[in-house]
Amino acid sequence: MNRAAPTSTKTVRGVTLHGEPARETCFKVVSTDAEMAEWPDFSEQSRRERLHRHMNNECSAMEIAAQAVADFTDAPWDLRMAIARQAADESRHVAILHRRLKEFGGTKGEFPVSNYEWCVTGMIDNLPGRLAIENRTFEAGLIDILGQLKTTWRAAGDDRTADALEAILADEITHVRFANRWIRRLTEQQPGVLLLVAQAIRFLRAVNTALMPQVGETNTVGFTFTAEKQQAPAVDVDGRLEAGFTEEEVLEVLKQAGFRSILPAHVR
Amino acid sequence: MALSVRERADTFGTLRYVSVFAMETLARWVPTTPDLEAKVVFGRHIWDFAQHADGLGKRTHELRAALHYTLPPLPSYQAALDTLRASEATGDRVAMFYQAFLPDHEARYRRFLESTDPFLDEPSVRVVERNLADLPRMIADAAALRAERPDIGAGTAAASALARQLAAADAYVQHRSPAANVTESLA
Repeated sequence: MNRAAPTSTKTVRGVTLHGEPARETCFKVVSTDAEMAEWPDFSEQSRRERLHRHMNNECSAMEIAAQAVADFTDAPWDLRMAIARQAADESRHVAILHRRLKEFGGTKGEFPVSNYEWCVTGMIDNLPGRLAIENRTFEAGLIDILGQLKTTWRAAGDDRTADALEAILADEITHVRFANRWIRRLTEQQPGVLLLVAQAIRFLRAVNTALMPQVGETNTVGFTFTAEKQQAPAVDVDGRLEAGFTEEEVLEVLKQAGFRSILPAHVR
Repeated sequence: MALSVRERADTFGTLRYVSVFAMETLARWVPTTPDLEAKVVFGRHIWDFAQHADGLGKRTHELRAALHYTLPPLPSYQAALDTLRASEATGDRVAMFYQAFLPDHEARYRRFLESTDPFLDEPSVRVVERNLADLPRMIADAAALRAERPDIGAGTAAASALARQLAAADAYVQHRSPAANVTESLA
């Protein structure tokens, strides 16, 4: 389940990443958070930017799944089916968010976009590694973010967007669950798969360390990154358990997210 | 005379090859097509072809071939498929896939239905009917994309050329010699 090295690459802050996927010229594609136009408030402009950013992230997820279908032709058929389904789900998510963006008076290309997930995942030449990064890490992180965001949008009186995010969350849980199951199955069949997963996660950590915005750094709209902003979102415990993470794994995520102090002493 | 069990397995194996080829072609196009609305249509249909391939591949086993038995087509039809996959402009991709390849694919399914005994081979007929039911929706999705994005280009000349190439590759099933091996997936 290996494929050749990426055909194009780019270097950002000393890290080599996969080249960008195709985008229309209306999009300004950037590589770091500091180059994005992210507002901390919930103004009309901020709402459009949030939908626009989420739409492009779903587009990246669709491209990653599609590329895996194209790259790993010798993967087990049932796994290929699951990834093909994921590509279709992500495609629907893009369409849902694009529709909502237009309902808000927004347009594609209105704000800068970053294809971070694609550029990181595309550097991994094996399927277990890509599943570990895209599904088990990025999409699992999205479970936490969406668990929080649907409440935020609903509290702001926007049930339509909240409903959309809730539907997307259900799909993302499915994507993480099949990846968890397949990584376990592949590891049981071939213990060396664990090494591929570990290498992929190590690469992701190195990229995150290099690209994470520094406290005090300012983005293009003048927002300054703070220590609070760097914190991981609240962990969606139920969502993660539904997605096939074990209780031990969820506890580990809680610890990393800064909830160590509220956990029972025996698991800290 | 109706198709034999082996001939039906070979036809299904070839149709499965074509479905997997279509799935992989759309998958390759998603990251390499710039237009967002076209990406979305291609991405949605990857799953449709995966399901078609799955149904066909389960039926091949019932027809005494391997589970997910997959048989490459005759060279002239393969050449037409390669022409489709090699297209680059968004308009050409959309037109070639939805105005040339899919109607031809539908015609090949219908030819199978005409050549098999609907009672004797009822499970195969059901698989084909289920797959056929998806094709008008996919073609309608592409038509809606064209209506939304007329600027992506008509691709008429490319689609016409591919339609001619497909029509010239009327025979497409490469029936096995008795000693031939079966494969489970595309190389």
